[in-house]
Amino acid sequence: MASVVVAVLVAGLTSGAIYALATVGLSLVWGSMGMLNMAHAALLALGGYAAFTAVTTLGLPPVVGFVAAFAAGAAAGALLYVSIVRPLLRSAPAAFETNVLIATVGAGIALENAILMTYGGQPLKQPVAAAGAFAFEAGTIPVQNVVIVTVAVVLMVATALLLGRTKMGRAIRATAQNREAAELMGVPVGRVYLQVLMLSGMLAGVCGVLVSAITQLTPPLGNDPMLKAFIMCVVAGLGNLPGAIAASFGLAVIEAFVQYAAGARWGFPVLLFIVIAVLVWRPSGLFGRAQIRRV
Amino acid sequence: MMPEAAASPLPVRRRNTAARADLAVAFVLIAAAVALPFLVDSRYVLGQVVLALFYATVATQWNLLFGFAGVFSLAQMAVFAFGGYATAMLCFYFGWSVWGAIPVAAVATAAASLVVGLACLRLTGVYVALLTLAIAQVMYVLIVTDTECFVMVGSTCRQFTGGAVGFARFGDFGMRALLKGQWLVGNYAIVAAVFAVTTFITYLVVKSPVGLAFRALKDNPACAVARGVNRFTAQLAVFGVSAFFTGLAGGVYAAHFQAIGPGVLSLSQLLFIVAIAVVGGVGQFWGPIVGTIVLVAADEAMREAGEFRTLGLGIIIAASMVLMPNGLVGRFHDLARFLAARRAPAAPPAVSPAE
Amino acid sequence: MADAAAARAATIPRETGAVLLALDGVVAGYGGPAVLKGVSLAVGRGRLVTVVGPNGHGKSTLLRTISGLTRRTAGTITVAGRPTAGLSASAVARLGVAHVPQGDMLFPEMSVGENLMMGAYLERDERATARRLDEVFALLPKLADRRRQIASSLSGGERRMVGIGRGLMMGAEIMLIDEPSLGLAPLVIEQIYEVIATLKASGRTILLVEENPARVADIADAMHLLDDGEIVWSGPPAELLAREELMSTYLGG
Repeated sequence: MASVVVAVLVAGLTSGAIYALATVGLSLVWGSMGMLNMAHAALLALGGYAAFTAVTTLGLPPVVGFVAAFAAGAAAGALLYVSIVRPLLRSAPAAFETNVLIATVGAGIALENAILMTYGGQPLKQPVAAAGAFAFEAGTIPVQNVVIVTVAVVLMVATALLLGRTKMGRAIRATAQNREAAELMGVPVGRVYLQVLMLSGMLAGVCGVLVSAITQLTPPLGNDPMLKAFIMCVVAGLGNLPGAIAASFGLAVIEAFVQYAAGARWGFPVLLFIVIAVLVWRPSGLFGRAQIRRV
Repeated sequence: MMPEAAASPLPVRRRNTAARADLAVAFVLIAAAVALPFLVDSRYVLGQVVLALFYATVATQWNLLFGFAGVFSLAQMAVFAFGGYATAMLCFYFGWSVWGAIPVAAVATAAASLVVGLACLRLTGVYVALLTLAIAQVMYVLIVTDTECFVMVGSTCRQFTGGAVGFARFGDFGMRALLKGQWLVGNYAIVAAVFAVTTFITYLVVKSPVGLAFRALKDNPACAVARGVNRFTAQLAVFGVSAFFTGLAGGVYAAHFQAIGPGVLSLSQLLFIVAIAVVGGVGQFWGPIVGTIVLVAADEAMREAGEFRTLGLGIIIAASMVLMPNGLVGRFHDLARFLAARRAPAAPPAVSPAE
Repeated sequence: MADAAAARAATIPRETGAVLLALDGVVAGYGGPAVLKGVSLAVGRGRLVTVVGPNGHGKSTLLRTISGLTRRTAGTITVAGRPTAGLSASAVARLGVAHVPQGDMLFPEMSVGENLMMGAYLERDERATARRLDEVFALLPKLADRRRQIASSLSGGERRMVGIGRGLMMGAEIMLIDEPSLGLAPLVIEQIYEVIATLKASGRTILLVEENPARVADIADAMHLLDDGEIVWSGPPAELLAREELMSTYLGG
């Protein structure tokens, strides 16, 4: 019995760590730009495949795989800013929120299919992965899961430090809290947006490596985590980073138990039901405040 | 001080011109629709036109919901599928005729959507998009992973929701019995009629007090709310109406093809609808129809391209949004305004009254 | 038309000293009808120039247009001789304009200290920043006490002070202050104006917008009356207060 609980907890916490990492990227972009980046899923896939190319195709060491994922994600984020975000902010600022959602849906589909056409649709093995397991009395914990949770936590802490202690981080937070005031202080808002998208892209890229290590490397690998991460952001209150992280772990563990008890297909439906119930009760999310969003 | 432009007759004249233009376009479309079966010999082409009519109907409903009422729902195909599945299941399990099943399915779809709407519509914009997307995803996954045998049909196992295979051969419009070889024309007439009626009623909704309320909400939300416009109830009403017609279209779709499966719920179908609306012009009444014509034609042209189809679709959506935020119809209006301004250079660059 | 403009130009008091901020025929709005309909004025170094007038007639728009938050459709604005045409708000800030906006626009989830530090965003020299922070705390001791308090939990008066302090942290040549008395109790307004008077005494160049001219009459060097987007009168503050007909027509007595 205990080993079952341990197994489920391990599964839940691992997915929780992955969702949490995904929510950080999404929340960052939403909070500072009012943008739901529907291309985020494709960025996860991009990161996973970039690592694959670096390690399997080019024969470089696994660490370089992570670096490749970072780089690919950052580059994609920058491309998103230049080709979609900046033009849309200039041409139709009032409808930005919805326009950018649609445009990123398109961009995400295009990227996912570009990956599909480049690598093919058959599942590949993510080379940046760890083997083995830790054995305890209560059960075994695969090394892979420990690595994933560790990497995710390290990245989240690093992001928190970046946002809280650096000048760039303060500028990002200022832009998120009051864009016009930030401009008055001399903050180059366009450059902040670029930085946020690149940062979010980097996190997405690494997240993709982690996801594909535990499941498989296929082009649509990011769709499920992204949708769930979004839902978790929403339930916490969009823009509330700590809340989203807490919600990610909590809901992921619940999902894991539901999947164990009722079957894999019921995980997401139950999750969604919980989220909708919470939103009916508190439309701004569990910890959110009704914010007046201005673009 | 410049003399203020008097309350000029221009707005009224422009309104009448707009209405007459709409009427003219409608007339042309109806004439074309009626003439089509006589002009077109190929069954394939007629079949594709029927498919295009379905797309146009759904896209018009999505445009009504999003472009006019501001409800960003990504569950449009789920609603469509609900109508189709409800129709198929009523026929399959209870032996109903499609003629009875379709309206009932449409009502059921509207009812189910109202429930979803009650839960989701108190949230703003993008939250609704996320939740409706999630709901559509859940519906798709639950159907596709349904493996439990519900009934035995002959020697094969049938799932309650039809599973990955879906439902087939549960009944049709009876056109084969009536028109024999020309049955497709009969179905075409039904589908075209459904499209015409739903588009007409959509037009009425847009021009109705509800539609005006939405324009007020869009232009000046604080003022509209102060005057008693309740965004929630108005959006819920449009949500229900649009769901009814989308579900209706879904039922007609199932009856026409005599099959319904989880494929309609796939993301690429939703994408096609969104692309149609975006290319045509979100919030423009004729946008979806223009978009359908353009994209179905482009899709036909890209038929050879195979895998590039989805990639191309993604690029089209992103590029259209960035380069033409108001779509083709929007560009057309810009051009018309530009030409009109050039024709009247003497008029002072007057303060244009809020239309 | 040209005569009226010339007559009006003749009444604008010539600014003494170097002109740090100059507007000429500025037209601006929010997409619909123009809010500013051709505004011209100048602010000389070390002077405190005020713009007064009824609400909704463009006073805030004037400052927003100068700082770059609102785009102008015609006319020129020069800061220390440099035109601001086509510059974003952050670029105008870099030219040396500190705008203390209406309603404070603080960063609600940051502490008082962090808000002030954001004011020094453009300053690269850490020691200069630290020095400025000490000066601000010396001028506004209440802020020093509340250094770690989150901005959204401050009272109206405290928020106003943070806004002014944040503007001071920018170390800019010119300060634009938008209705510092808005929404505050009379006693608090007095404190705020004491601070502003201190700033003026220390030689700062300030363009200040206020609804009621009586409040600023003591410290203002020149006053402009903005009505319906145009400057209808300019001169010394005492004169405006003395002219009954102007006071009642534009400022409700």
